[in-house]
Amino acid sequence: MSRITQFLERLIFTHRIAVILLFAVATLFLGYQASLLKLDAGFEKNIPLNHEYMQTYMAHRNDFGGANSVYVSVCDKQGNIFNPEFFDTLKDVHDQLFFINGVDRSLVVSLFSPSTRFTEIVEGGFAGGPVIPADFDSKNPQALEKVAANIEKANIVGRQVANDYSCSMVTAQLLDLNPETGEPLDTLALAAQLEKQLRQQFENDSISIHVIGFAKMIGDVAEGAKDVVLFFALALAITAVMVFFFSRNLMLTILPLTCSFIAVVWQLGLLTVMGFGIDPMSILVPFLVFAIGVSHGVQMINAVEKKAVSGAGAKHAAMFAFRSLLIPGGIALLSDTVGFMTLLVIDIGIIRELAITASMGVAVIILTNLILLPVLMSYLKLDQKYVAKFKGKEAHSVRFWQWVAGCSQKTPAMVILLVTALLLVFGLYQSQQMKIGDLHAGAPALHESSRYNQDTFLITDRYEVTVDYLSVLVETTPEACTSYDVMNAMDGFQWKMRNVPGVQSTVSLASIAKVVNAGYNEGNVKWQVLPRNQQTLVQAIARIPTSSGLLNGDCSVMPIILFMEDHKAETISRVVDAVKQYRESYETDDMKFSLASGPVGVMAATNEAVKEAQIPMMAYVFGAVILLCLLSFRSLRSTLSVVIPLYVVSVLAQALMTFLEIGLTVSTLPVIALGVGIGVDYGIYILSTMNARIKQGDSVQQAYLTALHERGSAVLFTGITLAIGVSTWVFSSLKFQMDMGILLTFMFLVNMLGAIIVLPALARILWANRNEDKSPDQ
Amino acid sequence: MKTPLAAFAALAFSACVCAQTAYQAPLVEQSLLLDITAGETLVIVGERGHILTSSDGQEFKQAEVPSTATLTAVTMVDDQAWAVGHDATILHSDNKGKTWRVQFSNPKLERPFLDVHFFDKQHGIAVGAYGMFYRTKDGGEHWQAELHASLLDPYDREYLEEIREEDEEFYKQELNSILPHLNRISQHEQKLYLAGEAGTLALSEDMGKTWQRYTVDYTGSFFDIAALDSDTLMAVGLRGNIFVMQNNENWEYIKTCSTSTLNSILPIDKQQVAALGNNGIVVTMQRPFTVSQHDPYAREQDCSAGKNVKVHQIDDKAAIVNATQFDKKVLAVSANGIKTLKLE
Repeated sequence: MSRITQFLERLIFTHRIAVILLFAVATLFLGYQASLLKLDAGFEKNIPLNHEYMQTYMAHRNDFGGANSVYVSVCDKQGNIFNPEFFDTLKDVHDQLFFINGVDRSLVVSLFSPSTRFTEIVEGGFAGGPVIPADFDSKNPQALEKVAANIEKANIVGRQVANDYSCSMVTAQLLDLNPETGEPLDTLALAAQLEKQLRQQFENDSISIHVIGFAKMIGDVAEGAKDVVLFFALALAITAVMVFFFSRNLMLTILPLTCSFIAVVWQLGLLTVMGFGIDPMSILVPFLVFAIGVSHGVQMINAVEKKAVSGAGAKHAAMFAFRSLLIPGGIALLSDTVGFMTLLVIDIGIIRELAITASMGVAVIILTNLILLPVLMSYLKLDQKYVAKFKGKEAHSVRFWQWVAGCSQKTPAMVILLVTALLLVFGLYQSQQMKIGDLHAGAPALHESSRYNQDTFLITDRYEVTVDYLSVLVETTPEACTSYDVMNAMDGFQWKMRNVPGVQSTVSLASIAKVVNAGYNEGNVKWQVLPRNQQTLVQAIARIPTSSGLLNGDCSVMPIILFMEDHKAETISRVVDAVKQYRESYETDDMKFSLASGPVGVMAATNEAVKEAQIPMMAYVFGAVILLCLLSFRSLRSTLSVVIPLYVVSVLAQALMTFLEIGLTVSTLPVIALGVGIGVDYGIYILSTMNARIKQGDSVQQAYLTALHERGSAVLFTGITLAIGVSTWVFSSLKFQMDMGILLTFMFLVNMLGAIIVLPALARILWANRNEDKSPDQ
Repeated sequence: MKTPLAAFAALAFSACVCAQTAYQAPLVEQSLLLDITAGETLVIVGERGHILTSSDGQEFKQAEVPSTATLTAVTMVDDQAWAVGHDATILHSDNKGKTWRVQFSNPKLERPFLDVHFFDKQHGIAVGAYGMFYRTKDGGEHWQAELHASLLDPYDREYLEEIREEDEEFYKQELNSILPHLNRISQHEQKLYLAGEAGTLALSEDMGKTWQRYTVDYTGSFFDIAALDSDTLMAVGLRGNIFVMQNNENWEYIKTCSTSTLNSILPIDKQQVAALGNNGIVVTMQRPFTVSQHDPYAREQDCSAGKNVKVHQIDDKAAIVNATQFDKKVLAVSANGIKTLKLE
């Protein structure tokens, strides 16, 4: 290992100019590429496409539209829609939505769509027509009265018209491909159009426009994600001040920051080269890369300073730093990379993108901060004045480190381990209660007070239909809807599901056919049954068009739609379990009740994928860390000293999630892997020194004190810097960034404490025969 | 013409007792419920074989029922109860509705029973779609089908009589399919009244063996007929039509200006009567009734309701099918389950 290091050292430091030039050219190229980077969001990236439910969803998406809908509620601020201005606006909104590129024009539904009809029963049969007649004139009060009467007859109050007649809904389904270009739909552009061409154009003193749906949500997330520039600037400033405080030298501040910034540029440039965009959900990753870069840069300047103080010139000190940090720094960064790579096992596009983005960024740091940084630093002029200043700082910290080193004494070590054990037990208990999925109403990525979530609450409040629905797809043989047995099975199953707590209402072809049958019998509800007579059944079903979304072209597939009270993970899993239980008594060889479609179907699949991924992900990330530690330290005891505190912290992080009501979701799942990947750095830096000293015959206490002198301040500093950097996210306008910020801050800080406090205590026990138990003060 | 046509002597037993027990549903009280009767206890029937009983009108218990057919009507004589419904199902309970067994069922008929009436514990009739009419003389152990041509309107009868002269078999076949739906039977003293499809209102003075059609100026369906007292008969039906016959004179129209179909009549006291209907409509009428001429071509906008008539709509607009007074409350059954009605 050391031979390779020496070879690299000679190669790099004899060709310093060439190295710098190479980096400069690469930075120029990748910088240009990075400037082309686009924000990129897609519905399918957020769902586990290979999950059983999503296979069903994908198979029938063309027939029933998907879960990707847009709901536009046009509301009258006075609370009564029956006025000319409202109806004119509603028509404009309908037309505008119809012409937005990417909207499936056959599935735009509002009072103004011709498919919105009413039927009434009269002596001898039915009478009916469009709710808004062709000759509708909004200026005519009688025409408005007529429409009001038709709305009641059409039985659409609660769905297309708010319960209190204050709003009316326009709904649309979105296509996956842009019909003009054949390219995947640009969701963010569509979201911007919704905002501009609907809300900004039509909202005024008397009308308000409320838009919800995945596209709008991700658009708002992207909008909020733009704050990230601000956070980046803030974090940069804080970090700069702190690094300056640490190094007391302007150049030593600028260099690590520059190198870390270069790492970010490279990472973003590489994304473009590889054909990726950056998703709003993973926009924080560059941030994280910067922070990790700085933390390794600080180790580097720390090592250079220490060597410079002992009298070596800048070039010599830089070479020494390169030599001593290449291995621990490389291992640490490799652990990070591998830690992030483990996220690839999760079969959700967006998490895989995050894995690629993050692991690439961290891999890049190996080049910029372990090679470029020492090369640049070798050009520094470290004068005597600086050396003297630094010596004073050193002397000051010696007392502090001696005090900290007490952690490796017998009694403190026992106390520390006992407390750690108690925390672990407590953490394990709490983490069992960690919830999967979204715990709150509305879009979890956004704050409750956000416009999007307020719109969601308004719509769920004023209408009966919620956007939280799950479809069970009845897959059977062609023309099955004319079979009494099939329809009766659907009806029976639907009723059982209706009785499951959390299900608010249900609808299917069977339940509508019953209502239509009552209609054919003069509206007498005593006839609200499925007719056994096939002709009568056909007659009832004939009135239900495929555009109702309740049957496909040959009615071989019919969804049973379950509207839910909320989309909390508990509710979803209760309903999904009930589906699995009840369908057993209804399924036959020719009739399957398949999960699932609809937004909640997608959530159910995602929750299950996340839940299933959690344990393997932890196993892989810890497996990778353990393997890398074993390889580099060649010592089981060293490996245990690094990994045990790391494990305790990750358990505590889960406990924190329970405590703060943060559910395990697509956005929080990666946090633990990221935290472990980065948290391992501290332990590796401390232990790489300790391990070497112990092998040379030092006692645990001596080895630890040496490690603290050499690396302690850098570790302490790094932990605090990283934590401050990510803690600024708490102010993000996006809820998931806030959650990630809290969790990462916790993991960075506590992992640092674990490396400084728990690690030596563990070492004290593990190397039981290598101790000199006395206080360092004695 | 009071020719009894109780001709079909084929004693019918339950053709198929497809034992399928109704699901004990937590939401049964909010399900589609179609009839309520108050005897010694309250018994409510509804969709999917749902039967609920209650002794206090507050707490309801779902009975174990060996059928999932939608039940449309229920009646009680002392501790005996009968419920009828789709798949030509007749269920019987001899313990005030606690447990039930199937007395008769024939899904192949593809016809529902729509009402059931018992004169005493032994004698009863069940009526339903397409003139379906069954009678029992032994508490429901055996049910016998009858066809009553006297329930036909005069034109149809004339046509059928012509056929009968040529071909008796074809006559029966034709009669079996031409008869109107029989929606409701009610008894007042010794008189039996019947309301049915296409303007059918009829009287029987011999326990339903022979029927005499009333002449009424309306061809839409009637869903209930009830004697308010010995001199006053009321019938309600499609599109909010209410007719009243006082002192054996003609049927006269009560204008409500509501076009929602009315399902049932609920006498409140000597002065007041209510009619309950679709879209959650409750019409209350005070005596003396204001009657007027029935004008099917009147424009809706120009309508003004009769004096002493009030139209009220319940909040959820669910179709109210029937109601009964119990323990100073009015309990109704609706498309959304049990409701307590407040009547003014």
